[in-house]
Amino acid sequence: MKRFLTFLIFSFFLGLMIFPLSGQEKKKLNYGKTPDDIVPYGRFHKAYINFFDTPQLFTGAGREKPEPTGLKEVRIGFLGPLDSTALVPQGKQMLNGCILAIEEANKEGGYKGIPFKLMVHNDFGLWGAAANKVVQMYDEHVWAFLGSIDDINTHVALRATLKLEIPMVNSGDPDPTLCETRIPWMIHIISDDRQSCYALAEYIYKIKKLKRVAVIRVDNRYGRVGIKEFREAARRLDHPLVLEIRYREGDTDFSEQIQRVQNVSADAVLLWGNAEETAMIINQIRAKGMTLPIFASDRAMSPVLLKMAGKNAEGLVTTCQYNPIADNPKLKAFQKNYKERFGIEPDVFAAHAYDGMNIIIAAIRKAGLNRYKIRDVLTDLKTFQGYEGVTGKIIFDDAWNDIGSIWMTKVQNGKYVFSPSPLDTLVSNK
Amino acid sequence: MFQKKLIYPNGIKVLLVTILILTVSGFSLKIKDAYLQGDNSVPNKTTPGRNYRILSPGNYSEIVKAAGEMPVYGHWKSFTEKDGLPAHKAYCVRIDGDRVLVGTSGGLGVYENGKWRTYTVKDGIAHNGILAIDVSKLTGDVWLGTLGGLTRWSAGKFDTFTQLNSGLANNVIYSVICDGKDVWAATGGGAGHYDTFTDQWEIYMERNAPMHEPWTYGVCAGDGKIWIAAWGGGVIEYNTKTKKFRDYVDPDEQMELDVFPDDGVVHDITTGVSYDDGILWVATYFGVNRYDGAHWNTYFDHDSGLLSNFNNFNRAVGSVVYFCTDKGLSTFNGKTWVSYQRSENNTGGKVLITNGPKLKNDVKTKTFSVPTSISHNFVIGVDANEDEIWVATSYGVSHGERIK
Repeated sequence: MKRFLTFLIFSFFLGLMIFPLSGQEKKKLNYGKTPDDIVPYGRFHKAYINFFDTPQLFTGAGREKPEPTGLKEVRIGFLGPLDSTALVPQGKQMLNGCILAIEEANKEGGYKGIPFKLMVHNDFGLWGAAANKVVQMYDEHVWAFLGSIDDINTHVALRATLKLEIPMVNSGDPDPTLCETRIPWMIHIISDDRQSCYALAEYIYKIKKLKRVAVIRVDNRYGRVGIKEFREAARRLDHPLVLEIRYREGDTDFSEQIQRVQNVSADAVLLWGNAEETAMIINQIRAKGMTLPIFASDRAMSPVLLKMAGKNAEGLVTTCQYNPIADNPKLKAFQKNYKERFGIEPDVFAAHAYDGMNIIIAAIRKAGLNRYKIRDVLTDLKTFQGYEGVTGKIIFDDAWNDIGSIWMTKVQNGKYVFSPSPLDTLVSNK
Repeated sequence: MFQKKLIYPNGIKVLLVTILILTVSGFSLKIKDAYLQGDNSVPNKTTPGRNYRILSPGNYSEIVKAAGEMPVYGHWKSFTEKDGLPAHKAYCVRIDGDRVLVGTSGGLGVYENGKWRTYTVKDGIAHNGILAIDVSKLTGDVWLGTLGGLTRWSAGKFDTFTQLNSGLANNVIYSVICDGKDVWAATGGGAGHYDTFTDQWEIYMERNAPMHEPWTYGVCAGDGKIWIAAWGGGVIEYNTKTKKFRDYVDPDEQMELDVFPDDGVVHDITTGVSYDDGILWVATYFGVNRYDGAHWNTYFDHDSGLLSNFNNFNRAVGSVVYFCTDKGLSTFNGKTWVSYQRSENNTGGKVLITNGPKLKNDVKTKTFSVPTSISHNFVIGVDANEDEIWVATSYGVSHGERIK
């Protein structure tokens, strides 16, 4: 009896301990790690429905398909810009990252002794060519594919994956709307522009206390969709953009845009575009004698920009999806092996592609040769949740978007200096 | 020692048993009460949050009565590869007089006089993956939207239109419809219009139409208008007389949420459009819409009889729309929902009826068990007429008879 009473008393106190703990549980993150003060309509109205509170299941048939026999290679697709676009340098780095992962996996025995083979496709973005490429990969019997960088091509490819039912890993396109299509066949292992925008908004408006920000952006989908979350965050923080002006890809003279920035008396400018054009704009701003702080999107974190902008780049602040100088043994080994294999330093696209291809390989090894089961493993939010890659820890939200840490960079003495994003500090304090 | 721990005095045993009985009976009463009162918090295995009652199995007169004006289908018969279907996965289906055309991942299946015949790339079809089918009322030609181009089946011969030999925007054809002499195709690179009389092509994309993006997913026609489900751009309306466009997009401009229902297109990622009887029906992966030309209504799986927010396709036939969801087939006429699902144990099917456009305290979903069902709950295509329905699913195609 005494023991029973002791048990009851113990249970009672245990219960008391547990319930207050539950009450103090960390608040669930807003979708996309959105800070509380920039949740859409957050100040005015609770949404009727939030679409990404739970993962979208794939309820179709296919898991019953048996694994084929007699295969001589296990094919994995690659879709990236390799020819005839401005993104070729990034595409080649992405391809190199995949090649390195495949070669390493094959040294370890491939898939049950069968070598992996990369089926390489260029995603030249004319007339929805990416959709045709996905069909080609389907016809080639790839088990999954990695791609791409360009927003439009990636979306076109993604849409075809649902009909063709091929798992897709995206490691190079920061478009936040990819996962928001709700197609349950893709995981996104690179921090998106939503994360970049929130990090920049926190840094510009709250840390630097700037108020009048002008935006000069490229007139394409990367510029339009990329800047959206920043524009909206600025408005919600009561500092709507004083100017948003575009330029065409390939432009070299930005005097009109810069004059407009000067006309509105902006106290900072945010540039959203490729490294080359961003460097030219920086040079032209400084040549005009303007000293205002300059911020830029992640693509500005590039040796090309440092080379083109030189001293004018000093003080430039951008975001970056990973920290290439992190004290991470995996990263260091990757950087060493990559340089030995290809003779160049890996960039952000190579590193993320290496992680993405390793995830595909691991998923195939775990699930076997069945696209549906590979998809299940990729999207189960367990197998690869918290995956420690060369780019750091990957944290998926319920839309399979990587909401792990993003980094800030500042050009100091001709080099990028990395620091944690204020967004991560905000979230960790929550 | 272990046994000793389990031995309690009789008084304690009685107390424990009493607590157990009270707890269990209280829970049961709560469930029973909830069933009778329609408490939506009582979970349903297939449609979370929806109350239901199992009524007499297979009693179609009761089902037909409960469905009111809505057609009810039953006596399902399904076909897979073993029955002659080219492949298990059926993307689309079209009733064409006495025959039925089914687009599968392995070619075109034609069901006629109780037999299946298969047509593939060997016969001249652009690709074995056939995503869309329509039949021209004007000529009787069959148009196939495939993964490799647009194929016309005319007088026993297959002709293919691709990016390289025609004005087609892209070779992946998600939707095709015939509107008199005109053929419209929704492709991965824009919407294509082909005038079969003049042999002229027109392409509509973000550069010459109010689309946010070039890619399109669905197309339909009616009353002198063409509607395009523009993936990422909501719905595009094209007036064939004035040659003018207008677009309908999600008013809240947010991908991750819907602020207000009934305020416009539920989401800019649209997957299907279908127009009949003066109503435009829109399918998305986030819910569905009804638009009567003045008012938008939005329906979600948690507030209506819609089985799932994830809709692959929709087709309107008269006043009834058929939504192909990843959890079964939902049909609706603006007033009553009738949905069809396989049962959890795969022994038969279920018919779910909601006598009201939206769930309320006095509008509940009733579930009827029936002996037969659609072949799979992941529904991709559908077609129906006065007497029958055909449903394309992830695993087979199913035929249902209208129960009168």
